[in-house]
Amino acid sequence: MFTKKQRRINWILVAVLLVLSIFFLFPVIWMLANSFKPDAAITSDMNTIAAFIPPAPGNGFFDNYISIITDTNFLRYMGNTLFYAAVLIILSIVVNGLAGYALAKIKFPFRDQWLMVIIMLLIVPTETVITIHFLIIAKAGLLNTIVGYILPLIVNPFNIFLFRQVFVSLPDDVYEAAQLDFCGPVKYFFTMVLPMSKTVVATVSVFTFLNVWNDYLWPSLVFTSSDLLTAQIGLNSITSNENTTMGQTLAVITLVTIPVIIIYSLFSKQIVEGVTSTGSKEG
Amino acid sequence: MSFIEFKNVCKMYPGSKVNTVDNFNLNIEEKEFIAFVGPSGCGKSTTLRMMAGFEEITGGELYIDGKKVNDVAPRDRGIAMVFQNYALYPHMTVEKNIGYGLKNMKMPAEEIKKKVDWAIHILGLEEYRYRKPKNLSGGQRQRVALGRAIVKNQKLFLMDEPLSNLDAKLRVSMRTEISKLHRELGATTVYVTHDQVEAMTMADRIVIMKDGIVQQVGKPMELYDHPVNQFVAGFIGSPQMNFFDVDVNGNNVRFADGSNITLSAATAEKLKGHQGMMTLGIRGEDIKVIGPDRKADADTENVLTAVITDTEVMGNENNLYFSFGGCQAVARVSKYEIAQIGDRISFTFVPSKLHFFDKDTGINFMEME
Repeated sequence: MFTKKQRRINWILVAVLLVLSIFFLFPVIWMLANSFKPDAAITSDMNTIAAFIPPAPGNGFFDNYISIITDTNFLRYMGNTLFYAAVLIILSIVVNGLAGYALAKIKFPFRDQWLMVIIMLLIVPTETVITIHFLIIAKAGLLNTIVGYILPLIVNPFNIFLFRQVFVSLPDDVYEAAQLDFCGPVKYFFTMVLPMSKTVVATVSVFTFLNVWNDYLWPSLVFTSSDLLTAQIGLNSITSNENTTMGQTLAVITLVTIPVIIIYSLFSKQIVEGVTSTGSKEG
Repeated sequence: MSFIEFKNVCKMYPGSKVNTVDNFNLNIEEKEFIAFVGPSGCGKSTTLRMMAGFEEITGGELYIDGKKVNDVAPRDRGIAMVFQNYALYPHMTVEKNIGYGLKNMKMPAEEIKKKVDWAIHILGLEEYRYRKPKNLSGGQRQRVALGRAIVKNQKLFLMDEPLSNLDAKLRVSMRTEISKLHRELGATTVYVTHDQVEAMTMADRIVIMKDGIVQQVGKPMELYDHPVNQFVAGFIGSPQMNFFDVDVNGNNVRFADGSNITLSAATAEKLKGHQGMMTLGIRGEDIKVIGPDRKADADTENVLTAVITDTEVMGNENNLYFSFGGCQAVARVSKYEIAQIGDRISFTFVPSKLHFFDKDTGINFMEME
């Protein structure tokens, strides 16, 4: 039970957070409202409260969206990105999960030192290794291919660390019981370890999706063919085109934001649990 | 050849200089229920885990059903195991937990269903069939773990302290269930426990271990009545055997407080001439209390007296605690023999139930060949 004083503090905190969330939300509301308007209306509403109010649904309400979908390849770029994200989620779970499992449960020489190296890799910014990735992919002749795009993104030290921290608390006797139930180590990983660690699997999936969806630098280096481009590059090429209207720009930004909002609102609980449960706990 | 044979089996963990299990020799017959019992760290669970294949055998040989299994994988040893913490698969229902092993054995679905139904029925888990382990009580989880073990028709069951996480009442009922299952299935069972009551009530034979060394192997009453050393005598039985420091001189036994008793000719002969300082052991029920402030009618020279320091009313019997010969002792008497703290009681020891242990080695002189 809260005391009277604590309750008052809680109310003040809620009020402050509400004000802050309005500050964060207002550009989003503005974008959403204006994405349904023609450029003339956007300009005329600019300095009034009407800038935050969408027009009444009617003729031409979805014009900006329809023109983006019909006149550009943006839907294809979104489809490409969803495909890359799906492939990378699966590969991330398998590869980083297996690495995390080995570091958590299999005894091998210098295991703890390996873990230290992986933890140290967490502080290396992506930008510092991207040139090396590019050179390797170029030398391998994989530029402008899906494999060349995906390959360097599979192994992620942060994901390995997340998996390791969750797997280390899995009870050993479940593995022993599974062995007596004729379950081999690979089957154990896929049918026991991953289902028992749904939270971290969800967390890694969401993080991988967000990384792929929001990544601009790496796909812009690897891809030149317009058939393979991702949503972020598509967004850039559409918005930087001088024929694109303000309304269309806002519509395409809205489109690119929707999947992120959906994913985050569906899995926010798992993300918080996944990150906070990375401390060892008795299972 | 016995069903299971341990030949000089040893276990030494890396970095350790002593064997956790030292020169373990034991034959276990088919369909036998054998319990490994001993205090924490005595090596009983390690021995069981070596049988299961989860711990490497660092010395000696282990045979199961005539086959040397030192280097055989756990899954190929033909064993089923029940774990202390149940080790159920948390994301599977009761039904799937029990049938998982059968599925991996590539058994036809119909047969799996038949076997799972049978296990669920005999363990009384019908109403929990579709529940996951987190929605079951400790006793129900342990029954699921038993179910998972029994459906596979293995010849050897290993149980590692399966009842230690249950409350006292549930433990008693599960004891009965496990004994019943053993009789019905006829599988050889090796049961590890630190609870000597479990071992005494369930096992055909008991192996008592201490510091990785087998102290004695025998039927429960053999261990109770004929312990080979002071450790076994003290470990088996509740309340534990009373021990007194005594000086034996011929037929005369002198206690630390100066009291004396005279040994019968038969007892003296069993002592085989051992003399001097030793430890006398006698179980609580073998101390015959004559009554408050009353001398025995016969055998007056062996009647001893002491003042009661505490009492325990158990319902079916009473425990009377008293100080005697510089040691704390307990006598088990019938529920009708009531005494109060501070009462002076007279008592005798049943002569044939006396044990004499070497002061240094703890060997029971009365059980020496």
